Amino acid sequence: MSKQKNKMICPKCGDEMNHHADKLVYPTSAQEAEKMDLALGGVIDETHCCPGCGAVASRMAE
Amino acid sequence: MPNDRPLSIPVILGTTRKGRMSAHAARFMVGQIEGRNGVTTELIDISKLPMPIDDAGEGIKDPVFSEKMAMADGLVIVTPEYNHSFPGLLKHVLDSCLKEYIHKPAGIVGVSAGPFGGVRVIQDFLPVLRELGLVNIFWDVNFGNVGKVFDESGNLLDQAFVGRAGKFLNELIWMAKTLRHGRDNIALGS
Repeated sequence: MSKQKNKMICPKCGDEMNHHADKLVYPTSAQEAEKMDLALGGVIDETHCCPGCGAVASRMAE
Repeated sequence: MPNDRPLSIPVILGTTRKGRMSAHAARFMVGQIEGRNGVTTELIDISKLPMPIDDAGEGIKDPVFSEKMAMADGLVIVTPEYNHSFPGLLKHVLDSCLKEYIHKPAGIVGVSAGPFGGVRVIQDFLPVLRELGLVNIFWDVNFGNVGKVFDESGNLLDQAFVGRAGKFLNELIWMAKTLRHGRDNIALGS
């Protein structure tokens, strides 16, 4: 089950988006490195897709 | 939820070199995709993209390229083989996006002046595409001895490539439809 219950809303069409991926992203700056999950070696970026219009969006996982 | 938008499968021409024969291969692939029902395509020439070289990664994201990648359902990447690998500027361009690629299929078209048809660049490219979140398909198109495959105007001289491209696109389109369904409807961990 998706870790975050609050659905992202498509910035283009307003539909609820589907959280379909968690991507490990590696820090590219000292600021980003501070947010790193040491067990994973990076931060998790959630990827969401809009079933209505196909738009994509992402946010850092909580 | 049904999604009746046509599939979008752009073709990325991955070299900026003058006199590039890969341009003929890329235009050929665009033509083959244009013949498919329910699929739209366009040629994205990396030499036309405003990509600075004084920064890298998502810091140089071009909004037009980003939008095209976001709305794509699959990618055809046409790459020559330079010193057994891909052009550095192709990776520079691809590295400018990430979320736009995730759970989308990519097929690679290798191009070489010699006989191997880019097999080494394709092998070198696979882990990069995987890390970008793209899903590699198991068909490639290999344009070896490319100088003999197209004439100077880009006309195809070897019709066997029509069948090879057809197999490649059958797989890519199947993967594009399947992964779109997943992106749209299947929640992670559900």
